[in-house]
Amino acid sequence: MSLRQKLLLVFSLTVAAAVAAVAWTVLVRIRRVFELRDQEETALFVSQFQREFQHRSAEVAAAVDRLAASDSARALALGLVQTGDASPYLTEAQTMAQDAQLDFLEVVGPDGNVVSSAQWPARFGYAEPAAANAAQEPFLKREELPDGSTALGLFAVRAVRGSDAQVKLIGGERLDQGFLADLPAAPGMQIGLYGDANMAAIVNLATGATSSAAPVFDPTRLLGVDGSLPGAAYYQRLIDAALKSGAQTNGIVNPTGRREDSLNATAIPLKNQSGAVMAVLIVALSRAGMVEAQQHIRAIAYGVAAGGILLAIAFSLWTAARFSRPIEQLARAAGEVAGGNWDVRVRERGRDEVSALARSFNHMTAQLADQRERLIQSERVAAWRELARRLAHELKNPLFPLQLTVENLVRARELPPEEFDEVFRESTSTLSAEIANLKKIIGRFSDFSKMPKPELERIDAKDLVARVRSLHAQAIGPATAIEFKVEVADAPMPLRADPELLHRALSNLVLNAIDAMPNGGTLTLSARPLGDKIELRVADTGEGLTPEECERLFTPYYTTKQHGTGLGLAIVQSVVADHAGTISVESRAGGGAAFIIMLPRADA
Amino acid sequence: MFRRCAISVFLALVGICAWGRTRPHYGGTLRVEIAGDGITSSDATVLHLLLDGLTRFGADGALQPALATNWTADDGSHRWEFSLRRGVQFHNGDPLTADRVVASLNLACNGDCPWTQVHAVGSSVVFVGDSPMPNLPWLLAEKQFLISLAGTADGTAPACCIGTGPYQLAAHSSPQLVELSANEGYWGGRAFADKIEVATGKSIRDQWLDLSLGRADVVEVPAEDLRQAQQQRLTVVVSPAAELLALKIAGTGALANPMLRASIAQAVDRSALSNVIFQKQGEITASLLPQELTGYAFLFPADRDLDKAHELRGGLACPPLTLGYEGDGAMQLAAQRIALNLREAGFDVQAVALKAPQHPDLALRLLPLHGSDPAAAMEILLHAEGEQATVADASPAALYRAEHDFLARSTLLPLLDLPRAYALGPRVRDFVLLADGTPDLASASLEDAP
Repeated sequence: MSLRQKLLLVFSLTVAAAVAAVAWTVLVRIRRVFELRDQEETALFVSQFQREFQHRSAEVAAAVDRLAASDSARALALGLVQTGDASPYLTEAQTMAQDAQLDFLEVVGPDGNVVSSAQWPARFGYAEPAAANAAQEPFLKREELPDGSTALGLFAVRAVRGSDAQVKLIGGERLDQGFLADLPAAPGMQIGLYGDANMAAIVNLATGATSSAAPVFDPTRLLGVDGSLPGAAYYQRLIDAALKSGAQTNGIVNPTGRREDSLNATAIPLKNQSGAVMAVLIVALSRAGMVEAQQHIRAIAYGVAAGGILLAIAFSLWTAARFSRPIEQLARAAGEVAGGNWDVRVRERGRDEVSALARSFNHMTAQLADQRERLIQSERVAAWRELARRLAHELKNPLFPLQLTVENLVRARELPPEEFDEVFRESTSTLSAEIANLKKIIGRFSDFSKMPKPELERIDAKDLVARVRSLHAQAIGPATAIEFKVEVADAPMPLRADPELLHRALSNLVLNAIDAMPNGGTLTLSARPLGDKIELRVADTGEGLTPEECERLFTPYYTTKQHGTGLGLAIVQSVVADHAGTISVESRAGGGAAFIIMLPRADA
Repeated sequence: MFRRCAISVFLALVGICAWGRTRPHYGGTLRVEIAGDGITSSDATVLHLLLDGLTRFGADGALQPALATNWTADDGSHRWEFSLRRGVQFHNGDPLTADRVVASLNLACNGDCPWTQVHAVGSSVVFVGDSPMPNLPWLLAEKQFLISLAGTADGTAPACCIGTGPYQLAAHSSPQLVELSANEGYWGGRAFADKIEVATGKSIRDQWLDLSLGRADVVEVPAEDLRQAQQQRLTVVVSPAAELLALKIAGTGALANPMLRASIAQAVDRSALSNVIFQKQGEITASLLPQELTGYAFLFPADRDLDKAHELRGGLACPPLTLGYEGDGAMQLAAQRIALNLREAGFDVQAVALKAPQHPDLALRLLPLHGSDPAAAMEILLHAEGEQATVADASPAALYRAEHDFLARSTLLPLLDLPRAYALGPRVRDFVLLADGTPDLASASLEDAP
């Protein structure tokens, strides 16, 4: 990953994270605000309900109070007390309840038994314990009905006026769908009433008595204004919690799984005088408005965030380019310097650190070029000196015999002609030989200076090895005591090479190997493929080379031979380098030496 | 002498005036309102005006000839021959023949007849039974065996009730109003009122309102409202015990165990039913027949014994039971009260309004108490309850044994003997109730009739 990409990534991530953090913070804050509003609205309704409940309680109490003071009730009480006969009043409660618009009404006689019951006329003669609550505040009571069901009601007990509190009226209003429908409800609000006949027996907070049997939630018992409450089963957790704790419980209910259909619900336990929970009122406020607002705000936040991120990416692109371009130029320049082009320069802009770096780079490359020039000059001088030394050395060796021979010829002039002739012949022979030697030396230097450019063609290493072998197999005979071994792999070993130059290089190595084994040995010439390379190896079993010799072996004019020019291996190295190959030597003292040429394998 | 003659003449004139004042007048329209339809309901007020039986009950409960003038039994009451009244015609003019009577009777009981075979022999109708039928003449006075031309005596279609009764169907303008006109050729003499308008399906409250406003002449007074009617100073005619309020207990299913049935019998509080629900107008009874009819009804204990009910029930498990009732008002209340009583004894009972195809575990029923003959009355009662019982021996001891054995099965629990009553408007005269509580409207006349 380039610097520009890294910068782009870092900038983008930073800005995106910042935008996301801001958006998340906004959303969370908005959600909290809406939830707070929901809770306040629910709390408002709950307080409204409690006021309405108190109002209804007062209405029920007032209705029963009016009945207790009515002429019909007083006449009933009088007749009942005087005659003790309750039978004439069997249906009286129904009439009175109808007149007073009460859902429940029972007349209880002096013996505490029901004289007349509006809700269950057949219940006459049975005891009604609630009659003991006369003059007390209205209370909740679950009333049994003839069809076996029960109904929750808000009741009040009053003694009939003039009966010396012997005859009592127990009137009540049913807490049912009608009651729910009369409650003040905001738009989108759902109201439900959950009642269970066994509920009071299950939890009694006042006494602390708790039934061992857990209440089984029955969704059909959760009634709404229009019948059963939609998604009644989803209120189970709230209702169970309200039943268990006896306290108001809040929670989110989601009947459909869609957030916009979710409701902020409150379960309000309704208790009787003893503290037992008689029913649970459910008040559920739709969260659709809040969810829609949240979704709207979220969409805006996402849009802003997306725009911000896009802007951030564009800005990051620009910034990254601005910051990375000089560094990229520096990197490219450094690469060119590494590639040998020391004349490269970068632009210097501004006064920042990057500009300082560019200036330093330019200064460094200038110095490097200067140092290289000086090094070249030094090396050139050194080379000339070495060349002069070698030339002097090479030329001095034949010159000395030439001088001696000439001086001998001069002295031989004094000798008799026969001796002179013999000396002359010997001297001329020597002179010819030395002159030939001089010519040979000069020829070698000439060859080294005239190394031709390789003419590449496709050849096979096998053919190259075979040609070298055929050339030198004759020379290496039994007299030399050298065994010439050739090891060539069967696989094709194609090369892009100049066959003549490689032949000369290999031959030179073979001759060196022969020279290294004056007492005989084994010369091994091998070729084999190694990955995308072709390895040519010339190994001998001579005395080997010291590490120092190995290090300087390819230096021009360095030789270990008595009459070597030191150019042979330099020429071999030059040929190998011209073929994009490498040459190395492996040797240890007394263990022979092996020259290894690695050449690139030609494409198929 | 003159003085004597003058006194005699004066007395004669007073007597003539008095007779003229009390003599029934022909004409006028009698307006009757009833809660039922008058045909399928238990009183069958309309049906008794349209159709006659071979026999009938008199006001004193005695059996009287109707379409049959006489009857004889042979072969130990296995064979009965009823001679038809001559010259009787149906409302459409068709003569009454033995064949038509046989056809009507065969349709009436639909194969479930007290007899094995019935056939016409000349102008007589002959009944043959595999078992003795000692009370057949009394059974034939029941509304089930009223003779109609189309054989629709069961009353499923009032418009086709063509019989030989004192009135014939004039119009059936609406389901709530049946108009009857006097049958001029009635074999028992023309009825006094020219027309009778029977408004059906009227609530008791509406009937009483119409009576007080002069829009009705005869209205019903249920037993539970008798005291209220008397308090309101209505003219009320009350029959003797005409119906038996009884609890029918299924002998199969959940109550197949006789101990459970006996427990139920002990748990029911009859006094609450009588004193409160029926406002002391019903006679508490544990016997099928009233005390005044048999003289032994007191031998059957009617008191509630809750402890014994618990004891009889023991630890026997009983699934929830249903108690069916017909109608509303007192019957519904009574059913709910009985359900409450039974809950005290450990039974889970739910009172439900009875519908035709239902077979509840318990059913509150009103059974007919017809006739002055105890054996016949018991057979009629049992026959109404679907029991094919023949009470051949009419001696009190035999009747007691038969009733005791029947009640020991605890499949029918007598509760109250109830009367029937009607309130009359000021125009109505000579209104009487037959022994079964059915109003004899054919004998009634109107004060202001021309």
